[in-house]
Amino acid sequence: MKKTVKIGIIGDFRPDSRSHIATNEAIAHAANALGISIEVRWLPTPSLEAQTEVILQPFDALWCSPGSPYQSMDGAIHAIRFAREAGRPFIGT
Amino acid sequence: MLGIQDAEHEESAPEASRLLISKLSCSLVGQRERIKIIPGTLAQQVYEQEEVTEEHCCNYGLNPEYQAEIGKGALKVVGVNPAGEVRIVELGGHRFFIATLFLPQLSSLPQQPHPLITAYLKEAFDFGRVGR
Repeated sequence: MKKTVKIGIIGDFRPDSRSHIATNEAIAHAANALGISIEVRWLPTPSLEAQTEVILQPFDALWCSPGSPYQSMDGAIHAIRFAREAGRPFIGT
Repeated sequence: MLGIQDAEHEESAPEASRLLISKLSCSLVGQRERIKIIPGTLAQQVYEQEEVTEEHCCNYGLNPEYQAEIGKGALKVVGVNPAGEVRIVELGGHRFFIATLFLPQLSSLPQQPHPLITAYLKEAFDFGRVGR
């Protein structure tokens, strides 16, 4: 069975943001090139303020999106800390 | 990570005294910039080059007053612009933890994905398979 890679994007998605759209597209480009199946989910920063570990545990990697200020800087920081401490591949752009 | 408890961002807390992230001397929105990659780093392994050009969409960056501090912790400066200002950092002792001031996603093309993003996804795939 093909494994689907779960990517969590820390950020407050705006459909009118060129950077946000480009983030989704760039992940798809790289996944195609690698021939892997991916599932991308945007995680609004206020939802990451509490129980961050429980929420993020299922993700194989985390991406901190462009677009500060975040709705919740605390949520973003908790999520970045989880990536660091739980050894998740992480990119912040 | 540096033990700076009251670190603040000029965009959300302009009056704070410890502005770790401050407004850039000039906006980088829409600018392309040459970036020197420090040899012997993960970033250099990924790019396989020592100089790259990347596109920005940013008005804020690391306050240069704190640049020397960064080098003292696990977070390392691994990419700088021609003026020596921080553009890429990575965390030592972690399988893949990279942050950039520029947006690699803006230069990704369907037939030419960005090397940083491809390397990141490959790590994610490997983590999902064996990392847990």
